[in-house]
Amino acid sequence: MSPAAVVVRILPLLGWLLLAGLIFVPVYGGSRYLIYIGTLIALQAALATSLNLIVGYAGQFAMSHAAFYGFGAYASAILVNSAGLSFWWSIPAAMLAAAAIAAIIGYPALRYTGGVYLALITFAFGELARLTAANWQDVTGGAMGMRVTYAPESLFGFSFANGRGMYWIAIGMLLISLAVVFLVQRSRFGRALIAVREDEVLASFLGIDVMRHKLVAYVISSALAAMVGTLYAPVMSFISPDLLSVQQTISLIGVVILGGAGTLAGPVVGTFVFLGIPEFLRIESLYRLIVLGVVIVLVVLLMPQGVVGLANRVLKRWQRTAPATPPTEAGA
Amino acid sequence: MLLDIAQTAVDGLMVGGLYATVAVGVTLVFGIMGILNFAHGQLVMLGAYVAFYSVTAGWGFWPGLALAALSMALFGLILERLIFRHTLTDHMAGLTVSLGIIMVVENLASAVFTPDPRTFDPPLAGSVQVAGMTLSAQRLLVLALVLLLVGTFYLFLQKTRFGKAIRAMGQNRTGAALVGVQITHVTAAVFAIGSAMAGAAGVLYGSLFAITPYMAAGPLMKGLILTVLGGLGSVPGAVAAGFLLGLAESFGARYLSASFRDGYGFILMIVTLMYFPTGLFGARGKARV
Repeated sequence: MSPAAVVVRILPLLGWLLLAGLIFVPVYGGSRYLIYIGTLIALQAALATSLNLIVGYAGQFAMSHAAFYGFGAYASAILVNSAGLSFWWSIPAAMLAAAAIAAIIGYPALRYTGGVYLALITFAFGELARLTAANWQDVTGGAMGMRVTYAPESLFGFSFANGRGMYWIAIGMLLISLAVVFLVQRSRFGRALIAVREDEVLASFLGIDVMRHKLVAYVISSALAAMVGTLYAPVMSFISPDLLSVQQTISLIGVVILGGAGTLAGPVVGTFVFLGIPEFLRIESLYRLIVLGVVIVLVVLLMPQGVVGLANRVLKRWQRTAPATPPTEAGA
Repeated sequence: MLLDIAQTAVDGLMVGGLYATVAVGVTLVFGIMGILNFAHGQLVMLGAYVAFYSVTAGWGFWPGLALAALSMALFGLILERLIFRHTLTDHMAGLTVSLGIIMVVENLASAVFTPDPRTFDPPLAGSVQVAGMTLSAQRLLVLALVLLLVGTFYLFLQKTRFGKAIRAMGQNRTGAALVGVQITHVTAAVFAIGSAMAGAAGVLYGSLFAITPYMAAGPLMKGLILTVLGGLGSVPGAVAAGFLLGLAESFGARYLSASFRDGYGFILMIVTLMYFPTGLFGARGKARV
């Protein structure tokens, strides 16, 4: 086993260890600060996991992830504040609306062309969504943002109104995102998706409806982003149009690439490396972003086969020399 | 009423021309190199800063414009040599590295230039009266400059030997190499030209709007819409789409709702894609799957 293969084998394990650590932090006490950071990390990891579905598994560049995240936050806050809906009902409502929008954008973007068109159109949509949030003064509060005063209601006699309660919701959302990706990965749909990523023409020869697979992946991924967004509003008690900016999506893509696109544990590892370690070392986010940018460039240049499924490629190379093990897609 | 329409139309053309300058660079680079360079907006931003410092230093607007175009061409050459040359014709890799470049350039810029918005005095102030319409002098100058830039560039592509080499490469890379086009040199030149256009567009943007390290997303968004609308890789398409988008925004803002100004272009793009999947001027039947 080459050293690279060892690293690739260990990384997912590391991801699960980190996840377990994240879950057990509040069980063993944990200060308010620790719980707050844990909540943010869980939200980011859930977001990166859901983005991984379209970027890592389907191999399509969706630049609208932060837009749907922000959309979820705004939609939920507006539904709770103005329409008087409960927080819990605002989650499926925001997700449904996000799915509908994603379908409307994704259909023309993926219909005949795919590839770069999705990146172009979703980038434009993301910027449009941010501008809409900044300009639609009456509904969104404009560029100054919107104050959020509500907290999630109690459910089954369990109070979610404090920091710890919202921490559990964040963990729940992370687990849901991971479960969705896990189920996709294990299903016929997921295998078809990976086939599309590897070779669209060949996949269509095998009878896979390429466009529909990409579209469904985009819709699921966007709806999950909106779900994560709904919790962001009460956690931060303030939302602003900056939430939707394309920079957020770019750094999320960086996190996915950093951890390993197309692997289940990758985004969790990437989030810890990108958010967790600098947070505890108190490194300013500016330098963090610059380093992440350099890492993206280096990963692409040093891995000429492409960034997607980077870890899998290393694994496959190792497996070719030891053919006893059957090829497992995306080391779970 | 008629005067109002004319005024709105001229305003739209002026804004549209500015968008087109950004889009020409994006679409040219994609057509020749197969790279969708999202960092193009960063070159626009840097160009605006070059002009800002040049005007503040007392060198004036015109040397600033030249300096911005030249320095961005140089920066483009460096980027091409160090990074984009290695991702040629690989859509996804090219796109990904451009995202990395955005993160590096943008955050470095905000560290060096500070996030405070900057403005510089445009060379022309005030407004002129033409046939009853009130037109901002600086905007007219921008329109004239855009027409000059895009027109010269179009003639360069159509008439010169080098322009023909570029177009040949756009049609078929291998074929162009077979008939003796130095594809490495032409590729580098194309990237430098696209970057210079971005720098020039940045100066024009900066003469009308505030300059910040985060200003890139706006021009880039318009540029990308035009690129899709006009057909990926088509320079005339991008220019035509630029004026179309400018008109759509101007009329939409004037007669429908001004706060939704940026949305009209997006709707235009989505509707266009429904009927023309490869854009207005894109090659027919190039669908991949």
